[in-house]
Amino acid sequence: MKLKVDISYKSLNKRNEELCGDHIELLKTENSTILILADGMGSGVKANILSTLTAKILGTMLYNGSSLDECVETIAKTLPICQTRQVAYSTFTILQIYDSGETYIVEFDNPGCIFIRDGKLLELPFYDCEVAGKNVKECRIYAQAGDLFVLMSDGVTHAGVGRFCDFGWGWSGASQFVEQHYSGNEAPSRVTSGLTEYCHDLYEQSPGDDTTVAAIRVIDKKPIKIFTGPPLNKEDDERIVREFMETEGTSVICGGTSANIVSRVLDRPLEVSLEYFDPDIPPMATMQGIDLVTEGIFTLNRVLQLLKQYNEGSVDHIFFSELDKKDGGARLAKLLIEESTDVKMFVGKTINSAYQNPMIPFDFNLRVALIEQLKDAIEKAGKTVSITYV
Amino acid sequence: MEITICIGSSCHLKGARDIVSKLETIIAEKNLADKIHLKGAFCMGKCSIEGVSIKLDEELFYLKPENTEQFFQDEILRRLGA
Repeated sequence: MKLKVDISYKSLNKRNEELCGDHIELLKTENSTILILADGMGSGVKANILSTLTAKILGTMLYNGSSLDECVETIAKTLPICQTRQVAYSTFTILQIYDSGETYIVEFDNPGCIFIRDGKLLELPFYDCEVAGKNVKECRIYAQAGDLFVLMSDGVTHAGVGRFCDFGWGWSGASQFVEQHYSGNEAPSRVTSGLTEYCHDLYEQSPGDDTTVAAIRVIDKKPIKIFTGPPLNKEDDERIVREFMETEGTSVICGGTSANIVSRVLDRPLEVSLEYFDPDIPPMATMQGIDLVTEGIFTLNRVLQLLKQYNEGSVDHIFFSELDKKDGGARLAKLLIEESTDVKMFVGKTINSAYQNPMIPFDFNLRVALIEQLKDAIEKAGKTVSITYV
Repeated sequence: MEITICIGSSCHLKGARDIVSKLETIIAEKNLADKIHLKGAFCMGKCSIEGVSIKLDEELFYLKPENTEQFFQDEILRRLGA
């Protein structure tokens, strides 16, 4: 079975620093994903150079098939030597997950990788070994859908040091935080934003060290299908509804007329609610056998807004509280962001008279333009999208 | 009596939500909740007509939010025989 991964990372810079001394490197090989977190000694420019060089060398060499020994040797010979400390130094963690689930982790002086399976914090079976004269820890396991790996720099485990706790909240504090905030279905960005925001608070908004969190969630293929817009030719309605119903995945209908068509073809009643969870998004409806039935343009426009925000990268708890709202737009955005990998859309080309209303406050008079923007945004969020215009 | 209000995209723009909340308020004020059932519907196919599509039992009306009270007096109360 081919597994996929969903990745998110976020850094806080040490106070008064323009540059982060931690570096994340992400690579996709033909059959695996490699994530590297390096933490350079010191802070600012120097740390940034050390960690960037380390992560880039590791990534490039591993990608090209070098052994870990060769990589570490190259790093040792390449890193500039610190004037004050007379050493060249950057800690690192490498996490490689193959499509088969086979997972390889190497740690050199970074806080240990946090591992959550079935909502529980588990200890990874690390063993010590020597690589190019350095003591590192290695671990090999098989990952499965739902697993979460969290890499971090010591800025995370030291958060709160000397203020709320003598030595920071430590690995146990950070790992418990992750365990409490991840049950198996959440996007990894919830973990990265939650953990960095909490560290920021522990540091009283003034981080004493560069603080980086990278989370990888392992996911199964999860299809979702969306029917939106009436088909151009009425004669096609039945065929397209049947095709939609036979397609695998979570089923969503966006659009009143579209919902009416499905209701008619399948002869299933449509119950339309009058409950407004958001004043700007029309209520939803229910139909037997369909997971989500919403209005069309306003809902899809909200979905697009949320996806764009998500794709900008720096999502925080405010974003997630928007995503957790109960209106149709937030529900569909959440399904797309957190609970699907492959999106199949059936888009009708009939121009709805509602679209030609000059009162529409945003820039799309054609469903197609909106759908194309949505497609881009969903793809940017790491999903595959296929569209059938009907 | 059943009142069905279209909440589709076009009627949303014409103020369907306003009408829903005004009707809910009037029904609560007049204690008519046991006599009137408010219901939603998606597009009734009259998007180009001015006003939100509303069905009283099976009869179609097109209503602007500002005329809700008047409509309630004229059409709904009359039908209830009050």
